[in-house]
Amino acid sequence: MWQQIIALIVILFFLTRLFSQKNKKNISQAEFALWLVFWALAAVAIIFLKQIDAFLYELGFSGGGINFLLYLAVMILFFLIFRLRLKYQQLNQKLTEVVRKITLETANKEDRQK
Amino acid sequence: MTKIFCIIPAYNEEKNIYQTVKKAQKYLENIVVVNDGSKDQTAIKAKEAGAKVLTHPINRGQGAALQTGNDYALKRQADIVVHFDGDGQFLGSEIFDLINPIQEEGYEAVFGSRFLEKKSAIPKFKTYIIYPLARTINRIFLNVKTTDPQNGFRALSKTALQKIRIDNDGMAHCSEILYKTKKAGLKFKEVPVTVIYNHFGQKLSSGIKILKDLFVNKLNQ
Repeated sequence: MWQQIIALIVILFFLTRLFSQKNKKNISQAEFALWLVFWALAAVAIIFLKQIDAFLYELGFSGGGINFLLYLAVMILFFLIFRLRLKYQQLNQKLTEVVRKITLETANKEDRQK
Repeated sequence: MTKIFCIIPAYNEEKNIYQTVKKAQKYLENIVVVNDGSKDQTAIKAKEAGAKVLTHPINRGQGAALQTGNDYALKRQADIVVHFDGDGQFLGSEIFDLINPIQEEGYEAVFGSRFLEKKSAIPKFKTYIIYPLARTINRIFLNVKTTDPQNGFRALSKTALQKIRIDNDGMAHCSEILYKTKKAGLKFKEVPVTVIYNHFGQKLSSGIKILKDLFVNKLNQ
């Protein structure tokens, strides 16, 4: 019971951060919606932990609902890191293209002035 | 007349770049140094030596610098481009060993190799651990069979330059160029070259970074 309350407080904390970022316009509407749904689902899962336990038992899993949620969280984290890495790589390539464009334009100007 | 450009990527190479440019100048007219955001006097020294200097405002890596050089050369109707390291580890006298097969034998890409007839004083750790590993990875994942998996001394014809675009900004460009050469069906060969080791060069950690870059870049395509 206490663990659930603590987990819900943590989620509440992250939600306040999320709304604060939204108010400061640091994140897009889509990004805000994604994280809002994510934290809302996490809160629902925590509240209905016993029901999840029972459901998993029905499916034949011996572990508790909290274990399942942890596995799920780790998987989601890995996926998000993976997506971030791809995005980071794409941004890097775009940065290189900009740098290259500036470099070549400067060189062209120099060559024309000769 | 065949227009040949020598592209030299350089990052903080103020100690070596003057001599490197002079080495290449003995054999080729168009020397282009791509100063990759150096924080030292690299650009000044390269200009003093008589090279055309292109400057990246920030450091983007050797692969990125080479592609900038390739773009510059292509725009100036280059027929052949030679890639030559800025740290003075290659011999200018071997430049034509790479160019001749393109001019006389119809090859599109010629790669230098430290593991053919000529002997370089390669550190043992690289000879027995790093390069065999890199060779195996190139063979398994990229289907490229070359004796030297990571050699920056190469010559590319105009056709090769048009077909190969270097997407890996860092050191993974060596494997990428080999892979794209094979994929584009370009006629290529390796020729023996000598490499002078002023320092150890790429470490095992660099090798792991190359692997990671190749993998992430592949996923992005």
